[in-house]
Amino acid sequence: MTPLPETLRHTIAGWLEAGEIELFIGYEAGAVPLRATPVFIRDAADVERLIWDATCENNLVAFLPKYRGKKVGIMVKGCDARAVVGLLQEGQVIRENLRIVGVPCGGVVDARKVAARLGVAVEDLDDAAVTADGGVEAGGEGIPAGEALFDLCLACDRHNPNVYDVLLGDLLPEGGSAAAEDFAHVRAIEALDDDERWAAFNAELARCNLCYACRNACPLCYCNTCFADRTMPRWFNQTVGPEDLQFYQVIRTFHLAGRCVGCGACTRACPQGVNLRLFLDKLRLDTHDLFGYEAGTDAAAHPPLTTYSPDDPDDFVL
Amino acid sequence: MAMTTEGTAMADTNATGWEPRILAFLCNWCSYAGADLAGTSRMQYPPNVRIIRLPCSGRVNPIFIVEALRQGADGVLVSGCHPGDCHYLAGNYYARRRFALLQRYLEYLGIEKGRVQFSWVSASEGARFAEIVTRVTEDVRRLGPARRLNINAVARRGEVGTP
Repeated sequence: MTPLPETLRHTIAGWLEAGEIELFIGYEAGAVPLRATPVFIRDAADVERLIWDATCENNLVAFLPKYRGKKVGIMVKGCDARAVVGLLQEGQVIRENLRIVGVPCGGVVDARKVAARLGVAVEDLDDAAVTADGGVEAGGEGIPAGEALFDLCLACDRHNPNVYDVLLGDLLPEGGSAAAEDFAHVRAIEALDDDERWAAFNAELARCNLCYACRNACPLCYCNTCFADRTMPRWFNQTVGPEDLQFYQVIRTFHLAGRCVGCGACTRACPQGVNLRLFLDKLRLDTHDLFGYEAGTDAAAHPPLTTYSPDDPDDFVL
Repeated sequence: MAMTTEGTAMADTNATGWEPRILAFLCNWCSYAGADLAGTSRMQYPPNVRIIRLPCSGRVNPIFIVEALRQGADGVLVSGCHPGDCHYLAGNYYARRRFALLQRYLEYLGIEKGRVQFSWVSASEGARFAEIVTRVTEDVRRLGPARRLNINAVARRGEVGTP
């Protein structure tokens, strides 16, 4: 783990001491190998605990809606920053209340991938450490970044935060936008027939155990009462029967339509390895396709389902 | 939006007697009045459609559509005022964006094309309403009984992945 540079710790301590923020949300060394853990700093003396390296996988923006109206500092990667923009667009946070440390991010380490490669359990990666280039050293073996990072990160071409007050390190060279993504995983499913698509959907869901980690990790799933928790009406039962899993996943993912910024927090949080990106990326692709809109890029833009144009696509209507 | 299981018990899936059961969400101002006109004009259309009247197509939460399929509807039709004619000025424009995404999304997940359809029918278009119901009923009849998302069709465990 790498402590934050002196100057940055100084800046954050200064914000706390001056009362510009009452809380800083960052990362500290975690108890589980290759996974940093979120830390909530209220005392300027505690800034020593803050770290940044490729084990900082959590999207901390998921905590922001819990501190509505409070002055909060936060550390964001490129993808996390787009979630901040999403919250700004939806009026969930106020820019003036935030102090943002942006991190140009080369990707975060997928501990499960590393463990699988070494043939051990994640908990047994005790001696594992990240290297400067995003690779991992474990069990006397060096694993290059290309085999240690999350798939999402390996495909990412937008490493830099698009909203920040101070930057940790230098901006990285990057590609551009969702338009540049190839969405190959979505295209592959689109190419199937109905039966195969339904089978593919259920094959992912078969691993879901309805723990709601995806919802809890999602920075844009901030409803005070989620439809899944409602009892009047109780939309579905809290079981792992396929019909309940289907209902939950269809509705939760659709609630992210036009809002999902593709940060992958849900997929990283899933303890069962359900690839939720297969579904959310379809919505991101269609949002771009139908409305030329990409979530998390423009704080002044209206989310696509909160606005309209008389010229919107109409060809699907009878 | 409580569709009781008793009230909409799955249609008989024994091939002989099966008739599609289609749930239609109609806006109060145009499509419901259109359906009314079709009725008062004595126009014939398939009796397979069950109508739920809502103030506006913009009131149709996507969860209603998925819930309808869950509770055993073989097809869902949502109909509102023509674009530009919304009683609330823009409700159907918002709805149109939502439905465009939802229809593609449900198809992506494996719900057959034609199960969930959308239309614009004005209060004076009784004949058009009858035509659309006929068309949707035929589409759904061709697809057969809905099994996907249907709580009655996949009530047993261990059937994940079976269509």
